[in-house]
Amino acid sequence: MSTYVYGITRSPAPHLREGLTGVGDPPRPVRILQRDGLVALVSDAPEDLRPKRRELLAHQQVLAEVNAERVVLPMRFGSLSEDDGTVGEVLVERAEHFLERLDTLEGKVEYNIKASHDQEAVLHVVMAQQPELRAESEANRAAGGGSYEQKLALGEKVARAVQAREPVDAALLRHAVEPLAAEVSEGPQSAGWLTNLSVLVDREAADELLSAVEELGNSAPQLDLKVNGPLPPYSFVEKTDASADATAGVRAAPAAG
Amino acid sequence: MTVAPAQQQGGGTGNLYDVLELVLDRGLVIDAFVRVSLVGIEILKIDVRVVVASVDTYLKFAEACNRLDLESGRNKSPGLPDVVGQVTESGAQGKTKGALSGAAQTVSDAFQQARDESQEGGTRRRTTTRKKEERE
Repeated sequence: MSTYVYGITRSPAPHLREGLTGVGDPPRPVRILQRDGLVALVSDAPEDLRPKRRELLAHQQVLAEVNAERVVLPMRFGSLSEDDGTVGEVLVERAEHFLERLDTLEGKVEYNIKASHDQEAVLHVVMAQQPELRAESEANRAAGGGSYEQKLALGEKVARAVQAREPVDAALLRHAVEPLAAEVSEGPQSAGWLTNLSVLVDREAADELLSAVEELGNSAPQLDLKVNGPLPPYSFVEKTDASADATAGVRAAPAAG
Repeated sequence: MTVAPAQQQGGGTGNLYDVLELVLDRGLVIDAFVRVSLVGIEILKIDVRVVVASVDTYLKFAEACNRLDLESGRNKSPGLPDVVGQVTESGAQGKTKGALSGAAQTVSDAFQQARDESQEGGTRRRTTTRKKEERE
């Protein structure tokens, strides 16, 4: 029976809610493995685990509960160990590294901020900055929308102007939050965001961060900002060097299939 | 502007999609552990710029500009220069809110279709894969 690993934290073991379950259908009960001052949050691994919605949610939920009380090193989704014994060995072998990471992240949480453009507002911004665009737009409008070619020409210019605005607005966000953050990490660029920023902040500084983001939202109405947190420090745990220690004899699976 | 602090307790799923890529792409990786296959998940990383540079997109932008109420923008952006004098007073003022929201919808398509609309509940459309995952 292989073991699913959610995260690693420090002893003493956190108090887990009665009946806390993780991945699987039916959801497998979350257990604690303790070795050498470290605690791994684990459960039995379901056969044929897939990255489905409920599994991702279960993973995040287990970590969120622990993260509410203390720092935890969140595993990436889908980390499987041969068995409990192997998890224990990993804790022992890499105790120093894990403890260092836990020290570094102590008292801190991650907030993820995604920004996208409010369409109408950003059009106002680019029109304001480029009077010739505004003039062209109004000329088209006066001509009942303009010809196909005129529409295309205007649309292309506006699209480019809006696109050129993206890094500018991404920088606005970064500058707003950077002074409050212990660390900032650009999140993976995925569809739908002009910037995807994760910040590591002291738990106590969370309100300050939220205020700063809210202020930015008010002063830059072209920005649609979505804040999520507090989260376990997903973006600020260090990946272990795959070449560093292969003694455990289990190959790292490629992250992408 | 939406500030949506995650609910740590209570099992709300509302924020899951906003942290999905963190759960999948970030977090600790230990070489002594195996990772489950994530086939099909990579599609989350579609580059939106491909979408932006298309004729359809240009036309939608043009359409949105055509409907844009530049007068109301003056309130929103105090810095808006008054360069082009005769803003079609009749035209601009005559535009109704309905027309505007229509424009917003048009551009919304022209922009990133994957945009998260968690506030509207189940109307998210990040990717087909995502929809698929959502059903499961």
